[in-house]
Amino acid sequence: MTAARRITNEVKSFHPFIKLLMLLVGVGVVASLLRFVYGLGATTNLNDTYPWGLWISFDVVTAVPLAAGAFTLGAIVHCFGIKKLEPLVRPAIVTGFLGYSLVSIGLLLDLGQPQRGWHVFRYWNVHSPMFEVSMCVAAYTTVLFLEFLSPVCEKFGLHLPLRLLRWIEMPLVVAAAAISTLHQSTLGTFFLIAVDKLHNLWYNPLLPLLFWISAICTGMCIIIIEASACHKWMGQPNEGTLLRTLAKIMPWTLGLYIFVRLFSLFALSDGPFFDRPVLTLLFFIELGFGFILPFFMFAQKSIRKNDRRRVIAACLVVFGLVLNRFNVSMFGMMDPNQIYYPSLIETLVTIGIIAGHILFFVLIARYFPIFEHHPETVDYSLPDQFRKIDSGEKSLETGTFPEGETVTGAR
Amino acid sequence: MSKADTSKNNAFLIDMTKCTGCRGCQVACKQWNQLEAEETEFFSGEGYQNPPAMSEYTFTRIKFRDYQKNGQNEFAFYKEMCMHCNEPACASVCPVGAFEKTAEGPVIYKAERCIGCRFCMIACPFGVPKYEWSKGLPLVKKCTGCYSRIKEGLQPACATACAMAIGYGPRDEMIKLAEQRLARYPDRYINKVYGKEEAGGTSVIYLTSLPFDELGFKAVTLRPLPGYTWQALRLVPGVFLSVGGGLSAFSWITHRRDRLKNEKQAELAEQGSVPSKEEQE
Repeated sequence: MTAARRITNEVKSFHPFIKLLMLLVGVGVVASLLRFVYGLGATTNLNDTYPWGLWISFDVVTAVPLAAGAFTLGAIVHCFGIKKLEPLVRPAIVTGFLGYSLVSIGLLLDLGQPQRGWHVFRYWNVHSPMFEVSMCVAAYTTVLFLEFLSPVCEKFGLHLPLRLLRWIEMPLVVAAAAISTLHQSTLGTFFLIAVDKLHNLWYNPLLPLLFWISAICTGMCIIIIEASACHKWMGQPNEGTLLRTLAKIMPWTLGLYIFVRLFSLFALSDGPFFDRPVLTLLFFIELGFGFILPFFMFAQKSIRKNDRRRVIAACLVVFGLVLNRFNVSMFGMMDPNQIYYPSLIETLVTIGIIAGHILFFVLIARYFPIFEHHPETVDYSLPDQFRKIDSGEKSLETGTFPEGETVTGAR
Repeated sequence: MSKADTSKNNAFLIDMTKCTGCRGCQVACKQWNQLEAEETEFFSGEGYQNPPAMSEYTFTRIKFRDYQKNGQNEFAFYKEMCMHCNEPACASVCPVGAFEKTAEGPVIYKAERCIGCRFCMIACPFGVPKYEWSKGLPLVKKCTGCYSRIKEGLQPACATACAMAIGYGPRDEMIKLAEQRLARYPDRYINKVYGKEEAGGTSVIYLTSLPFDELGFKAVTLRPLPGYTWQALRLVPGVFLSVGGGLSAFSWITHRRDRLKNEKQAELAEQGSVPSKEEQE
């Protein structure tokens, strides 16, 4: 069988939903090509009043916190030593890596001169939040790529790079958390310059801190949703007990967020707050349903233990975060006399990016060992003992393992 | 941002009581900068103004407003243009430093650096930078302050074309002149020099006979804008080091604790008193 036919057969065997995702990605790619052929003005609803639209609001400002699970969980598991959550780390890293790669693509599409993107590394301007975020996104995408290399190397039984990756694992986890703290918060700093433009309900000097805390909350909720979805649709084991542990952290981070949010609103912001009914409504939906309601849900043991209700609470947090980022970057800056709404092409590109994320995640999960990674077979003490890597069994099966080698980690 | 002395910067003093709304400045600007004409129509915007807004083709324009005075319809105008702030928000947010406040006064744009992120358009409190929306690989466009003319000892095109309303010279002298006029003719002017403190001070200074908000001037903070983001960004190195260092220390402690626990368990297992975890499995 030729390689082409093998690939065709493989694609034919996919679930119809995967095929739909592939179609959506294809449509998104075509739509993004149109943007270069006809220009931003013709293909988007952006104009001089709204220089930033859906692509910045969703593909960058919202997608970055949605991909925050990797650094949050990495720090929880490896730095704070809650080792039992280890099986959740790899899927989170894959999600993060995909998320950041797609953020980079979305950002390049939105740039007027994407071919000059590298100028950021040449002409430094340390006063610019955009410079800070660009540097961090580049650095963190590299870190996530290195972390993502582990399952790739395991798949192909490459032991030397694996040992190297294991050796730099802890530095990577620490770097991931430090870099993420910077750019998650700096996304909030973006809008500090929009003084007199962003509505008082959202403009306050603690915006960077709020962006960071809410990113941590959402990162964990995305992990809860993702693990539950993998259990339901991808035939993975139910990680309910682990998710319960994760959910136990949620009331603390959500509580901290709500406290800082209310403090910044009452103590650090100037009115008028409730002068525009639509924004008032959006504010109450965001804070009430997106943060306060899930706070009370996660605070109850019965809800944390119930798989379904736990996912609902997590979805509410994600909803709250998405609405919050849109409120800050779009709705809160809108001129009521001239409303922006995304054009068809803008929407198709963003849908393509979301579909691409799910599609690549499913495909990676299909071909690489991202779920079959359990802590009891892994020794995390540093420095690493020679070849304590659990994938030895796998590579033995595929026959790529060199002769005469023993695998001490596998039993 | 640098706290350079801006008193010797060149500044525009625009006295709207002397403006007749002839729009000679608009034409001069188009000519000098070789900007395309825009298709216009009568009453294209709020009033008689044309074009309806500043754009990639229009760096300055006279903004019109109708109002009633003693039961008579009157026009109020003001000349809209880049304010050439002393501490420009556009320059502070640009990731590649494509904007620069020159020692001569104008805030200039280095097109060859621009990556097209449009953060300058979000940041500018006056809504000045405009974008080439019609192009596939667009750049930002805005008033250059006629930097090329100034360097050669000329005055900006609009100031040269204007019969009487636009003065141009060192900023401190322009402010002094404006304050003298306010003191001499207090009944002719609103007692305010717009641009003296707005956004931390600008190189375009206005005098008018009508309240500035009625003319359509935007409400602008008096604090220089770069400070708003810098108050957070300056913490970046510290946050990076403390988060990185803190987590490193924390993980060192947890790993050491685990290692000691394992060693102790192994020791006990060797003695045979307690079976180790691994043997239990």
